[in-house]
Amino acid sequence: MRRRLISVVAAAAGSVLLGGCISDGGGPPESANTSRGAIEVWLSTNPEEVAWGEEVVASWNSKHPSEKVTAQQIPAGKTSEEVIYASIVAGNAPCVVMNTAPSAVPQFQKAGGLVPLDNFPDGNSYVEGRTGTAVADQYKSPDGRFYQIPWKVNPVMIFYNKKLFAQAGLDPVNPPLKTWAEFLQTSRTLVQKKVAHAAIWPAPSSEFFQSWFDFYPLFGARTQQQLVEDGKATFDTPDGVAVGQFWRTMYAEKLAPQEKYNGDSFKDGEAAMAIVGPWAISVYKDAIEWGAVPIPTEDGKPANQVYTFSDEKSLAIYFACEHRLTAWDFVKFATAQDSDGRLLELTGQMPMRENLPGVYAGYFAKNPAYTQFADQAGRIVEVPNVPNSTEIWQTFRNAWTAAVVFDNEPIDKEFADAAARANELLAKG
Amino acid sequence: MSKPTTIPPKAKPTEQQKLTVEPAPRNRLRVLILSIGAIMFIFPFYYMVIGSLQKEADKSFSGVFPHPDNMTVTNYQEINEAIDAPRSLLNSTVFTIGVLLCTVLFGILAGYALAVMHFRGRTTVLSAVLLVLVVPFQLLQIPLYVLIVRAYGLGDTYLGMIIPFAINSTAVFIFRQFFLQSPRELFEAAHIDGASELKTMLRVAIPLARPAILNAVLLTFIGPWNEFLWPFLVTKQQDMQPFAVALANYMNNVAGRATNPDGANMAGGVLLAIPPVVLFLIFQKRFTSTNIGSGVKG
Amino acid sequence: MATVRSAETERTTERDRESAVQPVEKERWLGAQPIGLLFITPYVLFLAAIFVYPLIVQFFISFKDYFFAAPGATVDRPWVGFQNYVDVIQDPTFQRSLFNVFEFMIINVPATVFLSLVLAYALNSKMRGLSFFRGAYYAPYVTASVAIVTVWLFMFGETGLVNTVLGSLAPDPSWLINRYWAMPMIAVFVTWKQLGFFILLYLAALQNVPKERYEAADVDGASTVQKFWSVTVPGVRPATTLVIILATITGMNLFTEPYLLTNGGGPNGASVTPVFYMYQKGVEQGQAGYAAAIGMILLVITLGIALVQRRVLERD
Repeated sequence: MRRRLISVVAAAAGSVLLGGCISDGGGPPESANTSRGAIEVWLSTNPEEVAWGEEVVASWNSKHPSEKVTAQQIPAGKTSEEVIYASIVAGNAPCVVMNTAPSAVPQFQKAGGLVPLDNFPDGNSYVEGRTGTAVADQYKSPDGRFYQIPWKVNPVMIFYNKKLFAQAGLDPVNPPLKTWAEFLQTSRTLVQKKVAHAAIWPAPSSEFFQSWFDFYPLFGARTQQQLVEDGKATFDTPDGVAVGQFWRTMYAEKLAPQEKYNGDSFKDGEAAMAIVGPWAISVYKDAIEWGAVPIPTEDGKPANQVYTFSDEKSLAIYFACEHRLTAWDFVKFATAQDSDGRLLELTGQMPMRENLPGVYAGYFAKNPAYTQFADQAGRIVEVPNVPNSTEIWQTFRNAWTAAVVFDNEPIDKEFADAAARANELLAKG
Repeated sequence: MSKPTTIPPKAKPTEQQKLTVEPAPRNRLRVLILSIGAIMFIFPFYYMVIGSLQKEADKSFSGVFPHPDNMTVTNYQEINEAIDAPRSLLNSTVFTIGVLLCTVLFGILAGYALAVMHFRGRTTVLSAVLLVLVVPFQLLQIPLYVLIVRAYGLGDTYLGMIIPFAINSTAVFIFRQFFLQSPRELFEAAHIDGASELKTMLRVAIPLARPAILNAVLLTFIGPWNEFLWPFLVTKQQDMQPFAVALANYMNNVAGRATNPDGANMAGGVLLAIPPVVLFLIFQKRFTSTNIGSGVKG
Repeated sequence: MATVRSAETERTTERDRESAVQPVEKERWLGAQPIGLLFITPYVLFLAAIFVYPLIVQFFISFKDYFFAAPGATVDRPWVGFQNYVDVIQDPTFQRSLFNVFEFMIINVPATVFLSLVLAYALNSKMRGLSFFRGAYYAPYVTASVAIVTVWLFMFGETGLVNTVLGSLAPDPSWLINRYWAMPMIAVFVTWKQLGFFILLYLAALQNVPKERYEAADVDGASTVQKFWSVTVPGVRPATTLVIILATITGMNLFTEPYLLTNGGGPNGASVTPVFYMYQKGVEQGQAGYAAAIGMILLVITLGIALVQRRVLERD
């Protein structure tokens, strides 16, 4: 027995040595902040964004042959954030990730994976100048610094299928979707007339980010509040519960299915409406004759007062970058007026630039359908930039699926419990 | 009742000779039950193939049978356009062969040593082998990731993919059981002839172990070929990703845009399933149970 | 008659064999054949790096409020003692996950034992099309879950084939989003998928049941079913032990199938498993210490169950 113990201890010690004795080094030195050189950049896997990205990279490379940029598509998983986090931990994150989700920024920042913009002399001023101080403010971290550059926004609106609406006897030009009552009634008509399997089909599954496309837009439209304000959860209020009740009605009357659709239900004509941003237009344009209206509110606020979820993506410079000045210059290049204009043209997504309709008047004249999104882009609610944000969203989502999607628990109780848990997490920091 | 067959000297009775031939009615009942079961087992595969060839997803009962006017190879074409199939298949092959080589090479050494030799620490290692089977990979995953990618710097390399799977512990188990059951006289005869342990192993044990090697190869192959999570974590560059990862990426992200997303997903599934199934069918006659089932003892 | 030898009896018989076969050789400190250490070294190194090291790291992490960070970043990782363990044990999601895997095993383990034995018995005879049958039963085992899940979802979705055939008998909500049916469905899927492997185990064990027993039973005039129960089942007892233990371990460590079939947690957490919860906490939410505690607790429970099963089932 003693012999066994000795050999076990020896094995353990040996393996710890084997594993741990390889030093993993620190990060790049302080001089990285002013260093220039070749850098690596990650793009999302959205085909239109990839096209835009490759154009921008090629243009940069022709102008800066000594600071070449190599672009790579983020290997996507259920969430690309896991991949980025893994690369932060491994120390092999790229210099810039174009498609950093704002909900992941607190976690990446805590892991020491992001470079604060005030490392660069014009860091803060550039961001606030481009995006406008008011909007940019939602993207500051609790310590008051910018760890991300707000890049593009996809204000979420209600898309509807004009042909299916006409088939159901609804007005395809001005559909009755302004108030909750109208929305519900329209949905009932659509389903009863059997023009589609569902009136609208948000994903009812339990991933933490799904709430951004059912609860959050309506909550934002109603209250203009983030999920967390001043360190406290905001959803266990009568407003939050009301939004929950609205969706519960949709699920109870089978206007929205309880099972996730594999693919795009709106594009396939299985759902008559979708709650999504303008990036989807390139997906729908050949298949569906679509129209878009703002998110419904209970009492029917006028369109120019309705807020929505931003579905924003940021750019960020990552800690492992050894040539941060190049990275910063590249970021400024990629968000310059021309590049933003190309982004708009190629992807239909709204760059976060002040006064979009004015700056790109030519584009919006040619594509009037996009004007409403540009307009909506000024009224967005972002995810809260707080510690443990992923866990808070997951806690909320678990409550949502239990109470709203499947009616296994009363909504107010579930929301209250989730809010209590969220407040604990917020206090923990 | 089987007739006693003459067993030629020095050969174990083949499986055919060991099987009983039952009287006809019982045999027919057996065949009937097996057929019903086999059809139920195979049905999802059949349905997957049919679904992958559908132009529009047809979930009705008649969709079970192929309809000529709803058939197309578009789903496969879309996959071909979206992922670099030859490259990812190459990556899968390198990954799998790397694991197989390490497993056979070092696994036989380990299995032989654990079965036949006596040395200090043997029971500890034995316990470790069994413990490995109990621990889920997800528990080891993150520290392993930090070790391999950060400490050893093996991200985006074949080595980084292979190392956590290099020696399959079930294969070690199989080799050990095989050698435990082999007649000791063979090894002792070699000793008496003056062979060292190493020579004994090389000249006697390994040739003897061919059936066990085949079984180990077939069982071990499944792991790296189908493995998705680890290569996904370890490789960032798309041209290093094995086939399982490329397909999973496609199914999660791009398939939603295909004309028939369900069909596209199923086409991906068919492509991933073909190599192991084909390999298995080719070798399954040799996949004799006599050697696997030595897991019965100990 | 195949017997399962426990480690203790194995050592005794080996010592007997040693003294019987090599009475002259001295008991050296490194054992009779120290070159065995050399043979075993690559495997031991592999185990040390891939298995022991991460396990030890996780063990230590579980006592801290740990967070994986970039190299060179300063992150506060305070020691919290057993706090993580206390939190995990009291965590309703974790408790639910344990309940879920037990529900899984109640269905999966007996079904696996019964079906694999019956099928192995049926496949253990000469007949036409044996290769086809064998291929059919092994095919699911050989395929990746990722590949085969798509057709399963296609079949069992709300508008899928199964519900179309069942019509009004179909459960509402449909199978995989139904909190009572989700886990049983996963159990059916995994049983179907793994059966090939266990059929192999039993096929081998069947070879070791002595022919004479069947002949004796025939002489007594036993029917096929009687022979099955009185000769086959006791005859493969060691294999049954192995099948039960392996199936249990698989069940406790279930991750991929719930993750793929029910998008992780399933309806109202009905298909959360401990390993999935560990993954969610550790990877998605970055709480490595908490996740490590989940892993350690799971390991202890699994080992405990396996040891108990071995003891109970090996009593002769």
